[in-house]
Amino acid sequence: MSDNTAALTSSDESQVSYAEFNFNEQEHAYVCVGNWSILSIGPLTESITETFQPPKNQQIRVLGHKLEAFDSAGALLLLQFIDALKTNRNQVVLEQFSDAQTELFELVQSKESGLKKLPESPELTRQKEDFLEFLGRETIEKTHQFDGLILLVGDLTDKIFRAFTQWKRFQIPSIISNINNTGLKALPIIALLSFLIGVVLAYQMGLQLETYGANQFIAYLCGMAIFREFGPLITAIIVAGRTSSSFTAQIGSMKLNEEIDALTTMGLSPTELLVLPKVIGLTLVLPLVVFWADIFGLMGSMIMSNFMLDIGYQEFLLRLQTDVGRDQFMLGLYKAPAFSILIALVGCFQGFQVKAHADSIGSQTTKSVVQALFLIIVADATYSIIYSWMDL
Amino acid sequence: MSEPIIDIRGLQNFLGDQWVHTEVNLSVNPGEIVAIIGGSGSGKTTILRCILMLLKPTAGQIKLFGEDIGALEAHEAELLCQRWGVLFQHSALFSGMTVLENIMFPMKELAHLTPSFRRELALLKLILVGLPVHSARKLPSELSGGMQRRAAAARAIAMDPELLFLDEPTSGLDPVSAKQFDDLVLFLRRALNLTIVIVSHDIDSLKRIADRVAFVGDGKILAIDPIDKLMKNEHPLIMDYFSNR
Repeated sequence: MSDNTAALTSSDESQVSYAEFNFNEQEHAYVCVGNWSILSIGPLTESITETFQPPKNQQIRVLGHKLEAFDSAGALLLLQFIDALKTNRNQVVLEQFSDAQTELFELVQSKESGLKKLPESPELTRQKEDFLEFLGRETIEKTHQFDGLILLVGDLTDKIFRAFTQWKRFQIPSIISNINNTGLKALPIIALLSFLIGVVLAYQMGLQLETYGANQFIAYLCGMAIFREFGPLITAIIVAGRTSSSFTAQIGSMKLNEEIDALTTMGLSPTELLVLPKVIGLTLVLPLVVFWADIFGLMGSMIMSNFMLDIGYQEFLLRLQTDVGRDQFMLGLYKAPAFSILIALVGCFQGFQVKAHADSIGSQTTKSVVQALFLIIVADATYSIIYSWMDL
Repeated sequence: MSEPIIDIRGLQNFLGDQWVHTEVNLSVNPGEIVAIIGGSGSGKTTILRCILMLLKPTAGQIKLFGEDIGALEAHEAELLCQRWGVLFQHSALFSGMTVLENIMFPMKELAHLTPSFRRELALLKLILVGLPVHSARKLPSELSGGMQRRAAAARAIAMDPELLFLDEPTSGLDPVSAKQFDDLVLFLRRALNLTIVIVSHDIDSLKRIADRVAFVGDGKILAIDPIDKLMKNEHPLIMDYFSNR
């Protein structure tokens, strides 16, 4: 017994309050001292598992007269100390606790059996899943997602055909507002970025052309690259970042707020009211934005060519007209509708996938942007393959 | 009688472009359950937001535990926040965490407890509010409205506060759940020695639990009395409020 005097003394210097569970040899009792409340018992909760060494087979009293504060965390701690004493076959008696303290302790004691019932965290078992299981789960999930996307496309197609019989269903105000938000408001950033890309393109090509003295080909090269690839692609990437994420966040928060359910119960179709105007609005505006990007991209290369290769503006434009021509310009524009439909559909679809917790909107928005970008590049590659088959 | 836990003197609030409160005086004594009622838009929740330091009042003094909250330093205000618990109207449980994680969250951030002790303490709170143990691993969205309210109550008492604020705790609950929740409030007050401030519309619930009821109208506290006495008050706004029920 002697080696166990002052069994536990712990206080936290950072706080004025302290909590102790001391052994008093004269009275042969443990004394609870100080502030047994949740903010000050931290050190004691550590010592109970590490340094507390209860005696064996004794009659032990636990005294509460030196307690300054005692809350439910303190009561739970006291219960754990007493359990530790009891497992060493000691007889424990509580003395000199106030009525309120006793009552609180008894309340906690009465609930003790429930505290042990919670099974171990299921995360531990989940970690054991092997690669094949993971692969299978992901495959099934992705297949279901793809199902969902096809359902959305089907629903949308149905709604479009129905809308042709009844013009009101096209939600003109909503379409116009979408054109404004997704197209017009993106114009400045798209103009700036296309211009800079045009400058960079002309500079890089100009370096090579200069060494061969083939300066006048700059208009042909820049025109081809910007019309066919850079214009549509830059536009689509910026719009995917801006618009697809905002579609997802908008539909997702509407879903969390049960607004989607509200629409459905009114007998209205969320696809018709939310998805259709977005798809149509974006499809109408994206080719125009691509044209806008073409203009600024060419402007960038024109200015760079003028500085670097002494190609005058007039000569550049003349070359553009004769060497590149309208057909190449149109080939770039044909990509716009595919991109716009992909962006709008992915954005809306991921919005509908939002589940009822706050993290969900964030993760679905990320997914929507990543998937939109992925699909845009896949679509662009597909276009290139088709064009090369058709010898365009 | 000992010093009041909450003491509001001459609270005035100018929100939007109108005076919500012109003169609010209210004091709450330790161990009391005080309810704040009043018609919609009378500024009940605004009073609560002022007390919780979520809204700075236009004028007036609010003393909590004897300290003027308008004159507190940031770290003093943080310490003060640890002495109260709040149950919000829509539960405000963190939706990405399980119920148990929700209850453990303030303990983890504010107290220094071992993980196992923290877990056990959180479970104790869960049992105290009458939730089954297996609900601990569920997400808030998987619980019914009444159970969410209970889980939120468990989180509100996680830090063993001295003062508990309940914002419309029984709104949207069925009568049976509402009654059970009232019993829970009374039980918690007795077991944890709490002082409780409730903003509510539910007269039946107030009859069961409130010691005193403060009626807010015309930008001030029109009367503060036990509910039976308040219902006999002849002020036109108060009569009108109770006559519709």
